[in-house]
Amino acid sequence: MAPNPSRTVISATSQALRRCACPAQPAAPRRLMQATRPLSSSSTARSPEASESATGQQQERPRWSYTPERMKGPGFSINPVKNPSRTIWHNNEDPAKLDAMYNRLLGSKGPDMLPDEIKWLAVTHKSFDQGRRGFNTRLAYFGRLILSLETTRHIMISPAPARDPPSPDEFGREPFQHPALVNIDKLQTRQPQDIVSKEKLTKLAIEVGLPEVVRWKPKMPENLEASGLTVVLNTSLFAIIGAISLQHGAEVAQKIVREKILRRLGA
Amino acid sequence: MKRLRLDQWTGQLLLARPGAASVSASAPRAVLRSTTPLSRCAAVRCQSTAAAASPSIPAQGTPEDEYIDGTDHARFPPLENLPPRATSMPSPPPSRALESAKLAALHARLALPEKLPLQTLARALVDASADPSPDFNNSTLAFVGQSLIHYHVGEYLMCRYPRLPMDILYAAMKGYAGHTTLHHVARSWGVEHAAAPGGEVDPGLLQFSMHKPGDAITGFGYQRAELKYLRKYNWRHSISSRIVFDDDFGEIVDPEAQRETLGRRTDTQYGDAFTRSLAERAYANCTRAVVGALYTHAGREPAKAFVRAHILSRHLDLSQLFAFKKPAKELSLLCAREDFEPPVARLLSETGRLSRTPVFVVGIFSGKDKLGEAAGPSLEHARAKAAMNALKSWYLYSPGEHVRVPSDMLAEEAKPWEPVHIDVGEIIGR
Repeated sequence: MAPNPSRTVISATSQALRRCACPAQPAAPRRLMQATRPLSSSSTARSPEASESATGQQQERPRWSYTPERMKGPGFSINPVKNPSRTIWHNNEDPAKLDAMYNRLLGSKGPDMLPDEIKWLAVTHKSFDQGRRGFNTRLAYFGRLILSLETTRHIMISPAPARDPPSPDEFGREPFQHPALVNIDKLQTRQPQDIVSKEKLTKLAIEVGLPEVVRWKPKMPENLEASGLTVVLNTSLFAIIGAISLQHGAEVAQKIVREKILRRLGA
Repeated sequence: MKRLRLDQWTGQLLLARPGAASVSASAPRAVLRSTTPLSRCAAVRCQSTAAAASPSIPAQGTPEDEYIDGTDHARFPPLENLPPRATSMPSPPPSRALESAKLAALHARLALPEKLPLQTLARALVDASADPSPDFNNSTLAFVGQSLIHYHVGEYLMCRYPRLPMDILYAAMKGYAGHTTLHHVARSWGVEHAAAPGGEVDPGLLQFSMHKPGDAITGFGYQRAELKYLRKYNWRHSISSRIVFDDDFGEIVDPEAQRETLGRRTDTQYGDAFTRSLAERAYANCTRAVVGALYTHAGREPAKAFVRAHILSRHLDLSQLFAFKKPAKELSLLCAREDFEPPVARLLSETGRLSRTPVFVVGIFSGKDKLGEAAGPSLEHARAKAAMNALKSWYLYSPGEHVRVPSDMLAEEAKPWEPVHIDVGEIIGR
C-alpha cells in the first residue's frame, strides 16, 4: 500500500521520535558499503609505520585497542560505588607481552599461529570493557569440547596403568573380550576431568604468564582468586585452543593439545 | 488390574528357595528343588482355574529346565535355551547376543560395519541402572559417544553459524544432542525396551530399571561453591562462567540432586513425568553408547559419518530460539560497534490505520541499506519486530549449509584449510 501522503505536524513529529535514540556524533559515520576500519589481521608482524601513515584522517587503530566511540556513554555514571578503589584495574596493552605468552604456551611458532585480532580476542574475558570489544566465550566453549574429546582419546590410546586385578563379577560372568574394548575400559579408572581439572589448568596458565596478559575486570582487585581468576584463566586457555582449531583445523589443534597442554599436565 | 511387578516375583521366588541366592554352580541341583508346590503356585500367576488345581513340579534332571521364571515348564515349554541361572543375572550374558534376532536386525538396520561385533551392540543396550558392573553396561561407551556427539555438533554449529549468541548456542546444542532428542533418535531406530531388566530378556531390547539408581554419565563440569544459594534463591549463573563450571548444555552440575533423583523409587501404576525422564535418559545413553561403540571398533571417520547422518541431519529452526528484551537498543549498539550508520526506522507501507486490524510495514535502515523489515499491528510493534529481524539476520549469518568443519582436516589428503570467520561476540543489550 502507498504510504500516507499527507504529512501533518503530528506525523512528522512521530516520525522523528521513531528514530532510534542516538546522540549526535561529531565524526561522520562511515557508510555501510565502505570498508570498516581495517583489521590488523592479515599481517601477523606489527608495523607501527603503517598504522601512523594515515593521512589527515582518524588514525587507523586495530579494533582490539579501543572502544567504539558511539558505544561510550555520557562519561559519568550515576551508579553509587561502594568502594571506588575497586574500579581501578589496568590490563596489558603491549603486543610484545602477549606474543611472549603465546611463545611460552605454544612454542616458537606460537605468536604467528593466530591473527592479531584473534590473539587479543582469545584472552579477552566478557568482563573487559563491558563486552564492547568482544570476548572469548564462544571460542572457549568450543575449546573445552575439543579438550574433552582429546583427553578422552588420550586416555584410550595410552597404555593402561597397572592396577589391582579387578574384582571378579559377583555373578561369575566373563565380559566379552575384544582388543578394542580394552581401550574403553581404561575410562573406568581414569576420567578426563581429573587429568585436565581446572586447578591443573590454572597452574599451567600461571606458568606461561597468562594472568598478566588476560584482559578482564575483577570485582575485587585486591582478591583476584575470589573475583574468579580461575574461571578467567581456564576460559582463556580453552579459547586459545578453540581459536587454533578454527584457524588451522583439527589436526593442528590436536597436536597442540597433546604436546603443549596434556604433556605439561603430566598426562 | 494391578501392574505386574516382575522384581517382586523374583523376590518371592528367591525367598521360596532357601539358600538359592548363595548357591554356586557346583551345588547339587537337589537344593534348588526344595520348594513346596504350594508356595511355587502362590507366586505364579495362573492362567486358568484348572491350572491352580494341579500344580506340577517340572521333571528334574533335564538341562533345559535349569532356570526358574515362574512358569510351569511342562505346560509352557521355554521358547529358547537359556543358560543356567539366567534369571538371576542382571543382564543377558554376552554369548546370547549371537542368538538374538532383534539385535541382528538392529545391527543391519543401522548399517553398522562388520567390525562392530554383536556383543558390543548388546552391551550398548544395557543401561547402568540394569547392571551396575561397568564391564557389562554401556556407561563407558556412552561417555565416549557423548564426547564425540558434543564435539561434532559443536564444531558444526560454530562453523555454520559463526555469530550465534552463546545462550542460543547452548539451546541449539541441547536441541541436537540433549536427552529428549537422542531418545527420539533411538526410538526412530526401532529400539524397544524390556519391561524389566534381567538375564532372560532378549539382548536386542534396551534394558533399564525404574527402581534402581544407575550411574549418570558425567561430562565436564564442576559443582559451584554457591550451589545451595543458586537453588534456594534462584540466582542467575552467568553465561561466561558456564563455560568452566556447567555442562555442555550450560546447565548446573549438581551431583547431589542427580543422585537423589536416580535413587528415588517409583511406585506409580502408570508412570509419570519422572519415569518418562528415566526412560528418556536410558534411550539417550543407548544412542550415545552406539556412537561410542562405533568409534571404538571402527574408528573416527565412521563415527563422524554416523553422527552427521543421524543427529546433524535433523532440522532445528534456530530463528525460533531468540528472545530479545530491547531489540531497538541492541540493534543501535550493534550498529555503533560495527561502525554502521545509526539505524533509522521508516514506515514502508500501511493499511487500515483507523480500522480494527491495521498493518504497518516498517523497515530499519542504516544509511541507504535496509537491515530488517517486518509487519505489525502497531507502529511500535512493527518497529520492534523489524529490529528483531535485523538482529537475527546478523546473528544467523551463515556461510552456507555445507560448511567445512575442523575435523575434515583429519582425513587423509584433505584440502588446505580456510580459516573460519571468528566473531567478536554478541551485543550485551540486556
